[in-house]
Amino acid sequence: MSTEPIRVGVLFSDNDAVSPSETAHLKGTLFAIQEINEAGGLDGREIVPIQYDPHASAGHYRVLAERLIIRDNVNVIFGCFMSHTRKAVIPVIEKWNRLLFYPTLYEGFEHSNNVIYTGPAPNQNSVQLAEFMTSNFGARVYIVGSDYIFPYESNRIMTDLIQQRTDGAKVGERYVPLDATEKDFVDIIADIKAERPDFIFSTVVGNPTQYLYHAYAQAGLNPKEMPIGSLSTSEAEIAQMGGEAAAGHFTSAPYFQSIGTQNNRRCLESFRSRFGGGIQPNQTWEAAYVQVHLFANAFRQTGTDVIDALMPALLGSEFEAPQGRVRIDPSNHHTCLYPRIGQANANGQFTIVREARRPVSPDPYLVTHSLGDWTAKLDK
Amino acid sequence: MKSDGRDKRALETPKLLRELRALRVAVFHPQDSDGEQLTQQLQRIGCQVQAFWPPLPEPPADTNVVFLAVRPDVIKLEFPWSKAENAPTIIAVVNYENPVIVDALLRLGAKSVIASPVRSFGLLSALVVARHVSEQARTKDRQIARLEGKLFGIRKVSEAKSILMETRGISDKEAYQVIREQAMSKRVSTEEIANAIINANSILSFKR
Repeated sequence: MSTEPIRVGVLFSDNDAVSPSETAHLKGTLFAIQEINEAGGLDGREIVPIQYDPHASAGHYRVLAERLIIRDNVNVIFGCFMSHTRKAVIPVIEKWNRLLFYPTLYEGFEHSNNVIYTGPAPNQNSVQLAEFMTSNFGARVYIVGSDYIFPYESNRIMTDLIQQRTDGAKVGERYVPLDATEKDFVDIIADIKAERPDFIFSTVVGNPTQYLYHAYAQAGLNPKEMPIGSLSTSEAEIAQMGGEAAAGHFTSAPYFQSIGTQNNRRCLESFRSRFGGGIQPNQTWEAAYVQVHLFANAFRQTGTDVIDALMPALLGSEFEAPQGRVRIDPSNHHTCLYPRIGQANANGQFTIVREARRPVSPDPYLVTHSLGDWTAKLDK
Repeated sequence: MKSDGRDKRALETPKLLRELRALRVAVFHPQDSDGEQLTQQLQRIGCQVQAFWPPLPEPPADTNVVFLAVRPDVIKLEFPWSKAENAPTIIAVVNYENPVIVDALLRLGAKSVIASPVRSFGLLSALVVARHVSEQARTKDRQIARLEGKLFGIRKVSEAKSILMETRGISDKEAYQVIREQAMSKRVSTEEIANAIINANSILSFKR
C-alpha cells in the first residue's frame, strides 16, 4: 500500500488582501488538513497542501491553478473567493479534468462537473434574509453593494422578493468599488438618512464592509429602527470593524461561531489551540473546513484523488459539520445547508435569532424565489 | 470601466426568465454523455424535460422547446412539425458544422445552437435567447399579417371608389361617403362593401 503523501492545491489570498473572509478560507482549509494528518492522514498517507497566494487577482488564480496541475501534479484544488476568480479557474480545471472545491456563498447559476460548491446559493441565504427583514422591519429597502456580479444578482433577487410584499419598495440602490474607502459611503449614508428605508440590504463584500458600518454608526442611525441585513458580514469582518459598529445588525449565513452544539465547540477549541485567536472562524472558514473533510472521506472510500473515481463517492456524501449534518446534492454539486439569521452583538459575535431545523437543498438555478416558502421561514 | 455607482440598478426580472420552470422541453438526442448533460442541466434550470431517441414523429402536445440533435444520420429526416404556425422553438445540438449540417439548421429554423461536447455553461443563455427570438418572430409575423390585411382592404376601397366615381359621376369624397354609409347601415366593414361593389361591377360590366 502506498505511503506517498497526497498533494492538494490550496488557492486563497492571504493577509486580508481583499477580505478577511478569504483569509478565513485559507485557515479553515489548513486546519482541516492538520486535523486529518494528526489523526493518521488518509489511510496512512499525509495530505500535503501546495499553497499559493493569488493576491486576489483573477489572472494569478488562473496561472497558479495551471501551475498546481502541471508542475505540482495536483488533482484536487481547494480555492477561490470572489466569483471572477472562480470563473478564471474553472476553464483550467475543466481542461485538465481536475476537481475544484469552492467554499464561498455566491450568486448561483453555475454548475460544472469539475466543481463541488460548499457555500450557500441564494435560496439558502437571500430568501431567508428577505423573509426575516421584511416581516420584522418592513419592505422598503435601500440597497448598497460592491460593484461586481455577486451584488448585482443578489440585489435582483432582493428586489423581486420585497415586491412580493404589498408595502415593498426599493428606495435606493448604490454600488461602491471593490476597494472602496470611508469617503465612498458618505454620500450614500446621507441619502439613506433622507430616504428612511425600513432596512438596508448590504452586499458590500470584503475590507470595505467596515466603512459602511462605521459611516452608519457615525451618522447616528439606529439598528433598532433601520438595521443592515447582509449575506457576507461575518465574524471576520466584524473583527475588522469592532463589535460596537456591528451590534444590532443582521446577517444570514449557515454558520455562526455561536452555534451551541458540542461538535462546533470542539471544532473551535481545536482550531484555536492550533492557530490562536487571531483568526475569527466564520461561514467561509467552516465551509472550507467541511469540504476538506468531504474530500478526505471520499478518498478513504475510493483510495484515489482522481476526479472520475472520486466524484461518484462525493456526490450524495454527508458530513457532520459544525453547522449540522451537510450533504452534497448529487444533481447540482452544491450542498444542503442550514440557513440561519444572526444578530451581531457587542462582543463581535452573533446571537442566532432564527435557524432551520432541517437542511435546505441547494437550488442554484432558481430565478423566482418566493417569500412564504417553508425554507424561507426559519424557526425561532 | 469605473462605475459611478449609479448604473446597473436591478430591474424587474424578465418574463422569459421567470417562466423557465413552467417551460416544457422535449430533448430529441441519443442517450449518450451529451444527451445526459443536456437533460441534467435542463433539470437543474428547472424545466419540465422529456427525452426521446429516435425523434418522435412530432413533439408531445404543448411542448415549448425542442432540443434536436442535428447529426449526419438525421439530416435526411423530415420534421414537418417544425414548419407549423405555433411550432416549438428549436435549439439544435451539433457535432459538425460543415455546410451540410449548417444548411440543415437553417431549413429546420433553429433559433439557437449548442455545440457538442455539451457543457452546463451556456445552455441557459441559449435557451432564453432562442425563446426570445421565437417570440419576437411570432409577434412580427402577426403584425405583418395584420398590416397586409389592412393594405389589401385599402386597395379594395380605393378600387370601389373609382367604380362609384365613374358610374355615378361623383367626387372621391362622396364615393367614400357612400361606402361608409352602406357599411354602417349593414353593420359590416368598409372592405366588405368595397368587395360587394367590385363584384357587382364586374357582373354589370359583363352585361354591357
